[in-house]
Amino acid sequence: MSRLTWFLIPLILFLLLTVFLYNGLFSDPSARESSLIENEFPAFSLPDLADEAITHTNDIFDGQMTFVNVWGVWCVTCAIELPYLTELSQKGYRFVGLYYDQDLDPDFGSKTINRVRAEVIETTRRFGNPFAFNIFDVYRDTSLDLGVTGAPETFLVDPAGVIRLHHLGDINERVWTGKFLPVIEAIQREYPVLSQLSTEHQLTGLKQ
Amino acid sequence: MIAELGNVTLVIALVLSILLAIYPLWGAQTNNPTLMSLARPLAIGLFVFTLIAYIALTHSFIVDDFSLSYVAQNSNSKLPIYYKITAVWGGHEGSFLLWVLIFAIWTVAVALFSNGIPEKMLARVLSVLGMVSISFYLFMLITSNPFDSMLPFFPVDGRDLNPLLQDFGMIIHPPMLYMGYVGFSVAFAFAIAALIGGQLDSTWARWSRPWTIAAWAFLTLGLALGSWWAYYELGWGGWWFWDPVENAAFMPWLAGTALMHSLAVTEKRKVFKSWTVLLAIAAFSLSLLGTFLVRSGVLVSVHSFASDPARGLFILGLLVVVIGGSLLLYALRASQLKSVGRYDLFSREMMLMGNNVLLCAATVVVLLGTLFPLVHKEIGLGSISIGAPFFNQMFTLLVVPFVFFLGVGPLTRWKKQKPSALKHQLLLAFFLAFSAGVVVIFSYDEYSQLALLGITMSFWILVATVLEVRQRVASPLKDETTYQTLKKLTPSHWGMVFGHVGFAVCLIGITLVSNYEKEMDVRVKIGQTLQMADYDIKFIGVESIKGPNYTADRGIFDIYKHGILINHLEPEKRFYTVQQMPMTEAGIHTTLTRDLFIAMGEPLKGGDWAIQLYYKPFVVWIWGGAFIMSIGAAFSISDKRYRIKKIAQFTRRTKSKTTSAANLEPSVAKESTL
Repeated sequence: MSRLTWFLIPLILFLLLTVFLYNGLFSDPSARESSLIENEFPAFSLPDLADEAITHTNDIFDGQMTFVNVWGVWCVTCAIELPYLTELSQKGYRFVGLYYDQDLDPDFGSKTINRVRAEVIETTRRFGNPFAFNIFDVYRDTSLDLGVTGAPETFLVDPAGVIRLHHLGDINERVWTGKFLPVIEAIQREYPVLSQLSTEHQLTGLKQ
Repeated sequence: MIAELGNVTLVIALVLSILLAIYPLWGAQTNNPTLMSLARPLAIGLFVFTLIAYIALTHSFIVDDFSLSYVAQNSNSKLPIYYKITAVWGGHEGSFLLWVLIFAIWTVAVALFSNGIPEKMLARVLSVLGMVSISFYLFMLITSNPFDSMLPFFPVDGRDLNPLLQDFGMIIHPPMLYMGYVGFSVAFAFAIAALIGGQLDSTWARWSRPWTIAAWAFLTLGLALGSWWAYYELGWGGWWFWDPVENAAFMPWLAGTALMHSLAVTEKRKVFKSWTVLLAIAAFSLSLLGTFLVRSGVLVSVHSFASDPARGLFILGLLVVVIGGSLLLYALRASQLKSVGRYDLFSREMMLMGNNVLLCAATVVVLLGTLFPLVHKEIGLGSISIGAPFFNQMFTLLVVPFVFFLGVGPLTRWKKQKPSALKHQLLLAFFLAFSAGVVVIFSYDEYSQLALLGITMSFWILVATVLEVRQRVASPLKDETTYQTLKKLTPSHWGMVFGHVGFAVCLIGITLVSNYEKEMDVRVKIGQTLQMADYDIKFIGVESIKGPNYTADRGIFDIYKHGILINHLEPEKRFYTVQQMPMTEAGIHTTLTRDLFIAMGEPLKGGDWAIQLYYKPFVVWIWGGAFIMSIGAAFSISDKRYRIKKIAQFTRRTKSKTTSAANLEPSVAKESTL
């Protein structure tokens, strides 16, 4: 190789790097391609967090648009989004909590279920309670099926039980209007009954 | 009104930077002294107008001018005045204005304090700085203007400064880091000017050395302050997280350290010439790359500003032009260089080459670790993350040979060193260092190989440094006392001593805190006493307090050692009302040998609290070491041979055609004994 070629190596390496940086610009680092979108919500049968006698299955999605919010009291960001979610739930959107606790493992954990319940009540009292009910993901199987990597994460499930949107991180006004509303509108177009429902809810919500 | 003034002055500054980029360089190429002499006034003008813009923005913050979108997003009428002033760099736009202002400060400093440098060289250097600033001003005016107005509709009150940034550490660490980042532009400009002029001898190395050391000192302090801020403000108890943005600041530091040492070789021995130029380009390029990583949103980090592809694209374009252009120029010019110096396998040149190779390897490790997740995803292999274990392991491997060279390097002679002459000193140093390591390790309860290694390495540096000073003092001229000989050591020699001692101090802190820290995550009742190391920590209670823009639960703890009250700590859990954000304000008791760290977690049932307790031995030594290194840098810069008169003499000598290697040999020989 000639001398010049050697001295061109830094330039070539740099240009190679810029190609990756260029591509990196157009992919959101916190967004990962979720393989679940447009698939049915994985089958589950789990107890209610507040009352283990009640068992929830995929039937909960029937005929309603549902936001499944994966959360826990140990999660700081969840506490931040709770007030906003509560606002949304008052407007008629249906939130269901998928609760999982880091320290509560029926086999190995150090916490009791009663303590978890008390903490949940305490947290929702402080920051607001958007949830119609909480599903308790005892062994975290459902969270694993959903590919949950942390909390909070939110899944938008349509009335047919199909996941339409998977959001990582907290929901705030920007995320809501930018990411959720377009999908919500699309679902409402597909199921016209819903839009009526939610406007009614919104009206009652306003009256309250 | 004031805000519009700021906007106009920014545009004027842009125009001035364009003029600065063109005329002096043109003058230098065509030998036109009038055009060359424009460089200084243009640089001063650039600085003055940028300063006015900066003051205008500060003014808008102080008077709560929420018609500016940037002020509305980063301030609030309830924010204390000192945070209003520092909130100027609390977000992307304002911090970039600070960056540009600091760039202008360095430019004007070069213009004013370079009397000894030939007019032609200075004109080229300032022109290069002008070219770089054009892109900065364009970037600011086009994609991120802090003076963007929200008129006619503007909010009544602002969204408040991010609570994380409402802190003393935040007030000073970004300006320090920027001083360092941007400071490498001077070395870069000298290197490019030398490439343009085709004069790649050792003179440019001598001229850019003090500037490089100054920038390096600021970067060192900035990194230390940033690490200290993360330590007490984030409440995680760690002092370095290998966060992408920390890495972005650490890479220029590593490259800058290599550059500083390589410049010494180039200046004194006229070897490594093209390599030093490449390092000068690399140090500044890595600063720019850091800017790109932080401001484009390609990586996730606590530091990231709001991501916007348009901004990222602009900076990427800037990178391609600035870095790509300089690397092309480098390839064309440096390939024609021929090295003349000769040196043996065992010589100070080789030791410094070892230093350079290892520092570059470290830079590459950090670069790969930071960018690999991005590349991995782009080539379709999915998301991965590279965490602290990777970096820690790589750095443990790299630091061992690095420290070996660090100890031996200063003891060896330039050109050629007889190994036998050093054998005794090195054996002594190793023996002393190893014994010190053993003694320190046995004063702790547990044995740890890594701790033994770390302490041995630190003392190896310390002992070798002492031996080196002794070596200088041991051969005094007649009728001189040791004190007189010590006094004759140059400031830059003391700079090296302090730099190396600072590194050893830092290494001691890192070793002990990584191996012997204690951590407790517990639930405490009021009145309960916890035990950690020799300390009893009693939880007295919690009180609710109200700050200017937050509410807080303040925990009250008394700390006893062997039954005697030694301190009282009050960590807080704050809730900032405007941004609806909880924050941990840790309670820390610092002494020279350990920190006690308490952070409030969550309130639990029955008035209990979850708290985190840390016992961190020698953690302040990490930042103390960085501080000592910066003092060393200050010593080096104060060395007389960088002062104007000396440089002028040196320049005359270079100018007169008698500058042969032989002619310079006396001064080289004298310095090489230092």
